[in-house]
Formats: sequence, C-alpha cells, structure tokens
Amino acid sequence: MDHSDNVLIIGSGVAGMEASLMFSKAGKKVTLVEKLSLIGGKTIKNEETFPNMDCSTCLVAPIQQEILQDGNINVLTSSLVEAVKGEAGNFKVTINKKAGYVDLVACLGCGMCYPVCPVELINEWEENLTNKKAIYVPCAGALPNVPVINAEKCLQLNGTETCNKCVEACMFGAINMTEKDEQIKVNVGAILVATGYDMLDVSTIKNLGYGKYPGVYTAMEFERLFAANGPTEGELVLRDGKKVPSSIAIVHCVGRSQTHYCSNVCCMTSSKHAHFLHHKLPEAKIYNIYSDICLPDKTYQKFYEDVKAHSSEFIYQADRDKMKISEEKGKLKVEYLDNNNKDAFIQVDMVILANALISALGSEELKEVLGIDHDKFGFVETQPFRIGSVATSKPGIFVAGCAEGPKDIQNSVIQSEAAVAQIMSLLNR
Amino acid sequence: MSEKIGIYVCECGPNIASKVDIEKIMQELAKLEDYKDKELVIKNHKLLCSVEGKKFLEDEINENNLTHLVCAACSPRDHDTTFINVCKKTKLNPYLYQMVNIREQCAWIIPDKEEATSKAIRMIHAGMDRVLYQQPLEEKQLDSNPDVLIIGGGIAGMEAALTLASKDRAVYLIEKTEKLGGKSAKLKELLPRQGVTLNVLHQKISDIQSNRFIKVFTNTELDSIVGFLGNFEIVIKDMNDPDNTTELLAGAVVVATGFDLMDVSSLDSYNIKNDDEVYNALEIEEMLSLNGKILMRNGKEPASVALIHCIGRQKVGYCSKVCCDYLLKIAKLIKDQSPKIEVTELYKHMCLPNKHDEEFYEQVKGKGIDFIKIKNAEITGTTINFTDIADAKKKLDVDMIIVGTAMIPTVGTAELGVELNIDQHETGFYQEAHLKINPVSTNTDGVFVIGGAHGPVGITESMLQAQAAAGKIFTQLIPGQKIIPEVKVSEILEAYCTGCQTCLDVCGYGAIYFDEDKGISIVNEAICRGCGNCVGSCPSGSIRTRHFTNPQLYQEVKEALR
Repeated sequence: MDHSDNVLIIGSGVAGMEASLMFSKAGKKVTLVEKLSLIGGKTIKNEETFPNMDCSTCLVAPIQQEILQDGNINVLTSSLVEAVKGEAGNFKVTINKKAGYVDLVACLGCGMCYPVCPVELINEWEENLTNKKAIYVPCAGALPNVPVINAEKCLQLNGTETCNKCVEACMFGAINMTEKDEQIKVNVGAILVATGYDMLDVSTIKNLGYGKYPGVYTAMEFERLFAANGPTEGELVLRDGKKVPSSIAIVHCVGRSQTHYCSNVCCMTSSKHAHFLHHKLPEAKIYNIYSDICLPDKTYQKFYEDVKAHSSEFIYQADRDKMKISEEKGKLKVEYLDNNNKDAFIQVDMVILANALISALGSEELKEVLGIDHDKFGFVETQPFRIGSVATSKPGIFVAGCAEGPKDIQNSVIQSEAAVAQIMSLLNR
Repeated sequence: MSEKIGIYVCECGPNIASKVDIEKIMQELAKLEDYKDKELVIKNHKLLCSVEGKKFLEDEINENNLTHLVCAACSPRDHDTTFINVCKKTKLNPYLYQMVNIREQCAWIIPDKEEATSKAIRMIHAGMDRVLYQQPLEEKQLDSNPDVLIIGGGIAGMEAALTLASKDRAVYLIEKTEKLGGKSAKLKELLPRQGVTLNVLHQKISDIQSNRFIKVFTNTELDSIVGFLGNFEIVIKDMNDPDNTTELLAGAVVVATGFDLMDVSSLDSYNIKNDDEVYNALEIEEMLSLNGKILMRNGKEPASVALIHCIGRQKVGYCSKVCCDYLLKIAKLIKDQSPKIEVTELYKHMCLPNKHDEEFYEQVKGKGIDFIKIKNAEITGTTINFTDIADAKKKLDVDMIIVGTAMIPTVGTAELGVELNIDQHETGFYQEAHLKINPVSTNTDGVFVIGGAHGPVGITESMLQAQAAAGKIFTQLIPGQKIIPEVKVSEILEAYCTGCQTCLDVCGYGAIYFDEDKGISIVNEAICRGCGNCVGSCPSGSIRTRHFTNPQLYQEVKEALR
C-alpha cells in the first residue's frame, strides 16, 4: 500500500502556521489550505494581543513571511477541501482552489488596480465597517499581498459590461480574467484541522439592540475600529464617522446562555479593550459589566488588576439574561440587575458586546468531508478516552486551536505543537 | 583577484520606482568610477525577487566574478533570505553581500521624491562602504544527540517520555521521589467526569518501566548541566547518596517538576489549627483513596460542608484555573455520597475555561448546593466570616471546610532555573520563550518547560504541553541530522580580555564562560545568538560580534551621517 509522508493542514491561523513550519523543519511536505485570500487567521485582526500588548503584526508577519517563502509548504489560499478518501497514512485529498484572477508570482501588490475598479462592495473582513472594490486585498498588510477578484460582482466577469480597467492598470500583466477554478489533488499521510472560530451573531439576541442602535458594536468590530490598518486607521469614532464616544460599556459573556460554554478569552479581550480605550480616550468613562471573571493563565490577573485600577470600572450583573439595551435621548441605556438583584442602568455612547466564540462557519461541511465527529457545540471532538490526545474520531485526522474549542493563542499553539508530535509519531511508525 | 562590487537597484515595480528617482540614483552611482580603486557593476532591475530577477542576479554574480554585492531593495525582513539564497548558488560568500532598504526606509516614508532619492543614494553608499569591510563567514555543522533528559516523573514528564522514546531516541527520566506518578498518583480517580480512572496512570507507569528506550532514575536530581541544543553534558545524583553520580549525554531537556499547593497557614485571614476539619484538595484525595468517602477525623459524616474557592489567589496574583472545576467535582461527590449533607460553595469568580465545564456546573447546581458569590472570607476553625457580593457581612458555621488553594511553583524551582539557565516569571513559574507563540520553549534553546512547572494546569493540559515539547524536539533534533549554529556570533579577543567577567552577567543565553586557567572569558559559539549585549558591556573593548564589527558599523554610519 502507498504511504505518504506529507501532511495536509486546513486553516492558516496561528495553529496551522506553527504546525506547517514545524513539519517543514522536519523535512515533511505540507499543503496548507486556507479559505480566505490571506493567511494569518484571526490573530491579524487584532492590533495588539493580551496581556503583554504585543503588536499582532510584529508577532505574526514574520511567521507569515516564513510560510510563504518555505519551499516545503505549498500555500493554497482561497481554497476549500472538497473530498477526502483513503485512510491514515494514505489520504487522497481533492482541493478546490477558487480563481483569484491575479497571478501570485507576477503581482507585486502595488495596489494600482483597486482605485480604477468601479464596483464598491462591503468589506466583510473589516466586519462590514468599510468598503472594498471588486478587486481587493482585505486589509493593508495582507499576506500574500496579492488581490483577488470577486467574480460575482466584477462587471467583466459577471458579464454586465466590458470593463478592463484593472487589467489596464496593472503594469505587470498579473491579472488574467480567463483564470478558472482549479482542482488540486494531493496525497497525504495525515490531516490537521485548524479551522479556528467565528463569533456568535449577536443580532439573534434581541434585547441587546445590535443592528438596531448604531452605537452597539461587537468585540471584533471594535478590534477593527481600533486597528491602525482598519477602516478608520485606528481613529475611535462611532458609525457616523464623527462622534468620539465619551462613555463606553463593555458587556461580558454575551451569548453564553445560548452557547452553554465560557468562551475562555473574552474577559481578557474585554480588559484589553478597556485598556485600549483608556489609552486612546483618557477622558472617557469605561465600564466592564461582568458576572464572573475568568483569567486562566498565570499572567492574566495582573493585567486585569491593572485595567481595573486605571482604565475601567467593573460592574457586577446578577443575571446576564436580564440585560437590556435601548436608546434614550441620543444615549444608549444599558439596564441590568445589580449586586442586590435590583434594576440598575448606566447611560453610554457606545456598547461593545463581548460575544461568544463559536465553531468556524463551514465546519459542518468540512466535518462531512472529513468524516469526523463534532461535539454538541459544533467543535471538533477529540477522543474522550484518550486523554491529552488531539486525535479526532477518525484515525490520521487531528485537530488544533479553536476548531477544538475556544482558547487563547498560546493554548492554540500548544495544541498545534502537540498535534505535530502525534502526527510525527504516526508517520514515522 | 581584484575586488569588484556589484550594486543592484530594485525598482520593486512602482513601489520604489514611483517614489524614488531610479535614473538619478543610477547617474549618481555612475559617477563613482574610481570608487576606492574598486571595480563597480551598477544595474537596476524591475523586480529582483522575481524568478527572473533572481536568475539575473545569479548570472550577474557569476559572469562579473563579483567579490561583493549590494542589493538596494526592500526590507531585509522580506527578501534578505531570498538574496542570501541566490549568493549560496554562486561562489560569492553570502556574508559579502549587504542589503539596503530603499523601500520602507525611503520610498514609502518620504513624500518628497527628491529627498527620498537623495536618502536612497546615501544609504546605498553606506552599504557599499560597509560591504568592503565584511568578512566571509562559514556555517558550521555540529553533530547532535537526539536523546532527551526529562526532569520530573509526574503525568507531564511521563507523557513526554512515552511520546519521545523510540529506537532512534533514548529518554532519561529522573524523579526526585521514590516512584513515578507525581501529584496525579494521589488522586482517587484521574478524570472522573471523563470516566478516566487511575488505571490509566498505572498503565503509563508500567509502559515506561517496560520501555527499553526509557531509563528511569528515581530518588534522583540534576547535579549539573552544561552544553546547548543537541549537546548537553549532564550529571545526575542519587539523593540518598550524593556521591553516587551518573553522567549522561542528551540533546534536549524537558523540565516537568510540577507544582505545590500553597500552605494556607501562611495567610493572615486563615486561623486554622492542625486538627481543625479543614482540608485541601490533596488531603481530600488522600481521604477518598483511603476510605472512599468524605468523613471527619472522628470517622463521622459531616452534616455541613463549605467549599471555599480562590484561597491565596490574591497573594500569589494569579488564578490557578483548575480549582473551580475541582471544587465542583468535590461538591457533587459529597451530594452523591449523601444528599442530606448541606453543601455551600463560596466563590469569587467561577472560572470554567474549558468547553465542557459549564455543563458540569449546571449539573452540580441541580444537586441542591448553595452557591454564594463573595468578595472575601476569613476562616477561623470551621467558622467562616464573609462579605457577599451585595456587601452583606455574614457568618457560616460548618462541620467541615474544603479549600481550593493556589498552585505554586515547587520547592527548588529557582535553583533548578539557575542551573538550566531558564528564566522565571514573576509568579515563580518558569517563563516561556514567548508567552504567545513559543509557549513550551524557554530562553535556552533545547530546554522545554511543561506541566505545573510552567504554571497552573490541569491533567489534560499538562499532557498536551508534554506532547507540544515532544513536537518541538521531534522537529528540532532529528536523529542523524546536523545542527547549524548561528554564524553571526560574538568572539572575545584573548589579548584584550582582562577577565572582569562583566559579559557573563549580561549574556541572556548563558553562552559565555570564564576560563580559570587563562583568566579570560570565552564565548561558546554554539549557544551565542549574536545579540551583542556583551560587546556593549565590555570595558576593554575585547568583544566583537561577527558581521556587526565596529569597523563595519562605523563605515556604514559614517556615510549615512555624512
């Protein structure tokens, strides 16, 4: 029987990238599949990471560069795993690489093609806070720094009219409108699922006013609003583009009653947001509304204490399901049950909802393709009777990072390194 | 052979060309005909990093027999490696090449094209001046030993041993007590919620004992260690007979020395005598292992039990992260033992960071347990005076108290850290190489930290960390593969060194040692990373870092500041 020494890694966040580089070092060939047009995962959406306030780009960009330049790692962006056949040691994988219409080698990322494109689209990567063109990179500093074309919206590609503006603007002849989706087949011995997470849609929680009141933001929206490469280049203004908030409420555990688990990182993320706000808007009044504070690392409490002492008032709410947000005279009214179980409220300009982490969109489909089990929350289930294992229900397929459940960067990396050990043991057997 | 410098200016498409006047640069460089009597080859290219551009550069180096190369292009972060790899295909030593960043440092930051151009020209000059003073350096290859020393025979150390040991890799597992198992062996069950009994642990112990690639040393501790990733020389000693030492060779070290529970009597707000009915987690486990039940010292079942979370947390300054879940487990166990026992949990913050914890919490809540959120508590005997979340002061008398006490670094952590040259975090646990992206490595290459020595962890996490360290070792220390140490390292000029040993203090990697016979400091090049700390600290100017020597930097700076 054929045995492959190669590895397929699905997802290019911190977990997928760490494993890719480790396998490459050990001389294994890696196919790294990423559904978006850029690698780096959710970490690059953050301006800084808690608790040391390391600049995320400085943390991740060298890793991204190393991945892109590594001869052992074949990076397939805009790609999805379509079919997996075979078994541990010999999987036959079919990957669909969506046409991006821009040559990854010829393109330099000079950006001459965007301004000439006549199509304006919402930029989902920027949490819908800004627009992009039909030919775009999701954000400044995206790697690979090569745009892709949205074929459904591009006037030329969707047949609306003959438009060749981006092709004419490109001085490297990098744009090829005739490119087709590509089916790529690889043989691998093992598969690592590192597909990360998404955030719970808070518009499903009616009494919090998300989508109704423009002053209500999700944690990730705020993260992009704060980012120097984000829609406002880091200027903290509300959706009207003018108003600077003078009072902000950060609400913890949003959606926890729906998900039935603690999302592990939100207490620290919310503390970080208070820290950001205090440093950018020192005059602003900042509240964190919480029920329990979860700080699961030796380094976290110190940061929280510091935020509590200098940046934010922490308000206890007795029942997170009783919270109600409404608008009154241009202010957001946040009503909650206080520590005496009595109704209380604060009025603020801005609310940041620290919403739950959920399994990544598309993981249901991937589960079917891979034939692995999920837990009741939709995360990949590891084998309960093999403690400390990151093996999934199917031999040869492993999981790391938030695909397995909510966790911070270091624990994602630890799982990824553990998965490398388990896969190396399997392949070298 | 006469010296011939090649200067190649990359346009980076419009990235550089539109913001910097390439033609002007070429004209200015062309004026340097008799530059220090060296021959010059000066060319520009649309995109040096492209496939075609790299081929062009390679051909240029070969055809012109270049002795030095300057590439004026983007940030070295982007393409230094690209051009080094081009050099490696030719006869040109890559250390005789210098990159000049005229994109990020000129084109992208200076709006005025003329100014950007003039700065670019000056920086290229500086690079040319520097490159002439550079010296060819050769990479060394060192043999490496794939074997691993593991310090600590608890669940983490055992997991690492079982993952790592193979016919290509021996594992030495040293344990200071007389048997393997660590704190986990004291538990009644390993992970009762998952149905994992202590048999799993016993199986692992017997797997280790029967594994011919693992050598276990009990009652043993580390005596001394010198060396670096791939080549550590280790001495271990028998704790009962300190003169009985054994020498070992290994390529990596995994530190799995575990944790201790804080001594509650050290806290002001706890006034407890030895015979009070107050127990910590390990005492409860011992009690359960002995009689399978939670009973008082008189053998009777308590009528009321209070479980108190977060004991000592404020003092240690961190959350121990497993205690909430642990105390929930004990509360359930008591209720399962006898539903009529009144159980109260006094907690500050319920910390349930794992995905299945909350479900368990809901299940335990359904058992008729009184959960009280408190701000603080004082214990005297089995009486608790506490302030609840609504600021009401209350008193609770119970038959028995079970405390969730903070996990703290084990005795000897500091001393072992010094011997291994690994840093401690301010909490006393060992410090990661990088908290986020390199979490089981340390500041010393080849030394890894896992389990309770790393910070408060549960069993599953400890095992994952053990495997993570194994993953790192699998990919850094491959049997039969040579190790290539850093080339740009520091060297101490014997003639100038006065033996003051200042450099030993500033070296973050433990790469410098003092030679008593010669009376001078010496750099171990396999450990040095070339950070240059020692260079700056040396009062006699006897240290230099290769590729960053004073003449090289001086030449570059002189031209840049002209």
